Amino acid sequence: MAKIERTQKLFLKSLKEKFQGQEIESETAEFYKFNGVRQSPRKMEFMKASRAIEMDRGIPMYDPERCHLGGIPMGQRQLMTYEVSGTGVFVEGDDLHFVNNAAMQQFWDDIRRTVIVSMDLAHQTLQKRLGKEVTPETINEYLHILNHAMPGAAVVQEHMVETHPGLVDDCYVKVFTGDQELVDDLEPEFVIDVEKLFPTKQAEELRAEVGKALYQAIHIPTTVCRTCDGGTTSRWSAMQIGMSYIAAYRMCAGEAAVADLSFAAKHAGVVHMASLLPARRARGPNEPGGIKFGLFSDIIQANRKYPNDPAKASLEVVGAGTMLFDQIWLGSYMSGGVGFTQYATAAYTDNILDEFTYYGMDYIKDKYRVDWKNPSPKDRVAPTQEIVNDIATEVSLNAMEQYEQYPTMMEDHFGGSQRAGVIAAASGLSTSIATGNSNAGLNAWYLSMLLHKDGWSRLGFFGYDLQDQCGSANSLSIEPDRGLMGELRGPNYPNYAMNVGHQGEYAAIVGGAHYGRGDAFCYSPLVKICFADPSLKFDFAEPRREFAKGAIREFMPAGERSLIIPAR
Amino acid sequence: MEYKPQYGPGTSIVAENRRKQMNPDYKLERVRSVTDEDVVLILGHRAPGSAYPSAHPPLAEQQEPDCPMRRLVKPTEGAKAGDRVRYIQFTDSMFNAPSQPYQRTYTECYRFRGIDPGTLSGRQIVECRERDLEKYAKELVETELLDPARTGIRGATVHGHSLRLAENGMMFDMLQRSVLGEDGVVRYVKNQIGEPLDRPVVLGKPMDENWLKEHTTIFHSLVGTPYRDDREYIEYIQRIHSLRTKYGFMPKEE
Repeated sequence: MAKIERTQKLFLKSLKEKFQGQEIESETAEFYKFNGVRQSPRKMEFMKASRAIEMDRGIPMYDPERCHLGGIPMGQRQLMTYEVSGTGVFVEGDDLHFVNNAAMQQFWDDIRRTVIVSMDLAHQTLQKRLGKEVTPETINEYLHILNHAMPGAAVVQEHMVETHPGLVDDCYVKVFTGDQELVDDLEPEFVIDVEKLFPTKQAEELRAEVGKALYQAIHIPTTVCRTCDGGTTSRWSAMQIGMSYIAAYRMCAGEAAVADLSFAAKHAGVVHMASLLPARRARGPNEPGGIKFGLFSDIIQANRKYPNDPAKASLEVVGAGTMLFDQIWLGSYMSGGVGFTQYATAAYTDNILDEFTYYGMDYIKDKYRVDWKNPSPKDRVAPTQEIVNDIATEVSLNAMEQYEQYPTMMEDHFGGSQRAGVIAAASGLSTSIATGNSNAGLNAWYLSMLLHKDGWSRLGFFGYDLQDQCGSANSLSIEPDRGLMGELRGPNYPNYAMNVGHQGEYAAIVGGAHYGRGDAFCYSPLVKICFADPSLKFDFAEPRREFAKGAIREFMPAGERSLIIPAR
Repeated sequence: MEYKPQYGPGTSIVAENRRKQMNPDYKLERVRSVTDEDVVLILGHRAPGSAYPSAHPPLAEQQEPDCPMRRLVKPTEGAKAGDRVRYIQFTDSMFNAPSQPYQRTYTECYRFRGIDPGTLSGRQIVECRERDLEKYAKELVETELLDPARTGIRGATVHGHSLRLAENGMMFDMLQRSVLGEDGVVRYVKNQIGEPLDRPVVLGKPMDENWLKEHTTIFHSLVGTPYRDDREYIEYIQRIHSLRTKYGFMPKEE
C-alpha cells in the first residue's frame, strides 16, 4: 500500500454547499442556535400540512417541537441538505425517504411487476400438439391482443368487467430475442431491440446467449402489484397470456392444450425477478428479499449506458441497491420504521463513496496497470490474497484519512454504520473491478471492516458485529454450508439477512466484477435485456438521477388514481 | 505454558494506550474525584440514599440448587443482593477521547465481573447489577478513561462522537447534559437520560490537547496518531483476515 495523490476530490462541492460559510476542514462549529426544526423548509412544510390535517380529522399528528425528547426538537445542529451523487441535485434528506419519493416507489414497482416468460414452450405446444402455424404475423397479432389483455381487458368472453386504461397505462408486453431476422419481422413497438439498445460488444454477447429463443418482457399494472404483491405478477401475467393465446390462435377455451400454455406461463417458462422466501421471512416471489445480487446488477443498466466507466456503473447499483434493500426491504418490510433511510443515503449522496471509489480506480491503475476505463478480462489482476489485502488496505486507509482530514465530512456521515458501509464498499468495488472476481471484492469488504474497527475502535451498529467480523471466513468459500458465489448471494443469504448498510453494496461489488471485465451481464442476459426497455416508467440506467427527480418532485410515476377519486 | 494476554499489536502510542487500559495489572491513573452520590445522580437510576430496588430475593434467601457452575462462578455483590440490572453508557469523541467503544468493552471485560457490554459506533453501554455498576462507574468516571469535554455519559440521544467540536472544545450533545462553565469546569446538569439534576455534578476541567493525544486510544491523522504509521498494527489485521479467509476460525498457519 502506498498513498497516491488525487487533487480533485469529488465531495468538496457538496461539503461547501452543505456547510455554507463554514471552513469545511475546521474541527469546530457552532451548535444550539439553529432554531431547531424550523431551520428546515421541509419540516416547516410538514408542520403546516399536519396542522391542516389535524383541523380536518381532529386527531393530533406531526408535532416535533413537543414530541421529540420532551420538547427539545432535533435541529440543535445544522440540518443538512444532500447532493444526490453524480447528479448535482441538492435535496432535503426527508425527500429521500421512499414514502416521500415517487421515483423510489416506481423503481421498486417496476421490478415487482415484471416477469419474463418464454414463448418457445407455447409455440411448441401450438405447432407440435395442435398443428397450428406460428409466424411473425401470428406473433404480432398475439402481441396486439396481449397488450389489450394484460392491463385487464377481456378477449374471449362477453359481459366481462375490465380495467380503465387510464389507471393501468404502465402495463404492456414486449418481446426480445437473439434472432435479428425475427426482430426485423416483428412490429417495432413490440420489440426490445438488443442491437439498438446495447453497445456493439455487449449486444453480440447478449444475442449469442439468447440465441433464437423468444421471450416476453411483461410488466403488469403498478396498481395491481401494489394492491396485491409480487407473487401476483406471474399469476396475473399467466392468465392474460393464456387468454391471448386462445384468442390469437383460435383455440378452444377449455381444451387440454390450454393447460400446457398455462403451465409454461406460470412455471416452466417464467423467470421471476426474485425467488420466494422461507416461512420465517414469508414472502412470495418478486419481493425484494429474493433478488439475487447478480440479477439485481443486471436490472441496473448503467454499464450499458456507461460501458467505459465501471466505477460509475457500480455506484449506480449501490444507490439503487441501498434504496431497495435498506430503505424498502430491511427498513420497512422487515423492520418497520423510518430510520434506515439515513444509513442508505450515505452511500449515494454527496459524492463521498464516489470519491473513495475513484481513488481506488486511480490506485489500481497506478499500481497494477489496470486500464479500468477500457473494461476487459485481459488486464484484470489475479485475485490473490496479497493483492486483495493490498487494494482493500489502501482504499480503506485513504477513506478513513479523508474523514479525518475533513471533519465536516465526518459530520455528514455521523454514524459509524454509514462510514463502515461506504469505506468497505469502496474497498470491495475497487477490488472486484480490478480482479473481475466478485468474491475477491467481498473479501476486500471484510478486510476493510476489520481495519476500520481496529483503527477507530468502533464500527457500525450491532449488526456489523455479526456479518462483518466473520465475513473473512465465508467470502471465498462456495461450499454449500459455508458460502456462495457473490452472484448467487442475496438479501436472504444467511449472514446478510438482517443487516442494513450492506446488501446494496454487495450487489454492486458483484456487478463491478463484471463491469470491470466488460461483460454484458452478470447473472441473466434475459433480465439485462428486459430492463433496457426505454418504455419503462423508471430509467434503470440512471437510478440516482431518477431518485433525485423524485426528491425534487419532478418524477411522474404510474399507479394514478385521480380518475376514480373525487377531485381535490 | 501459561497463557499471557498480549492485548493487541502495534508500535504506536495508541496501541500502547490500548494495551494499558485493557491490562488489569496496569493501575489506571485517577485524574479526578467524584462522590458516590455524584455517580448515583449522573446514572439516574435511583435517588441518592434510597434502597437498591431488587429483581429477586438475595441469593442467600433463595433455595439455590447444588450446581457445579454456581460453585465455580462466585456471584458479585449486586447479584448476591438480587439487584436490578442497570447501565451506564458513554459517547466518546473521535477527537482523541481517551477511550473508544470497542476499547471500553475490552477494558471492561478484562477488569470487571458480571457485566454485559454492548458496542456501537456512537455509544458503548455496559449493564450489570446496580451496586456493581455504581462501583464500576466510579472507576470509569474518575480515571484516565474519561475526559469531561470529549467523553459523554448519555443514556439516550447520544449523537456527537463524530461531529465537530463546539467552539469551547466540548463534544456536541443535543441535550447539553454537561456544560463548560466560565471557570473552565465541566458540570453535569442533567443525568444520563437527560433529566435535570437538583444540583450540578462537577467533573472538573477538560484535559489539555497534549494529554489527550498522549492518552487516546483512537488513531486520527489530523489531530493524533495516523493509523497508516503503525505498520505492525495494519499487518496484524491483514494477517488475521488472511488466516480467517483460508482457514476459517481454526487457523493452521503460524
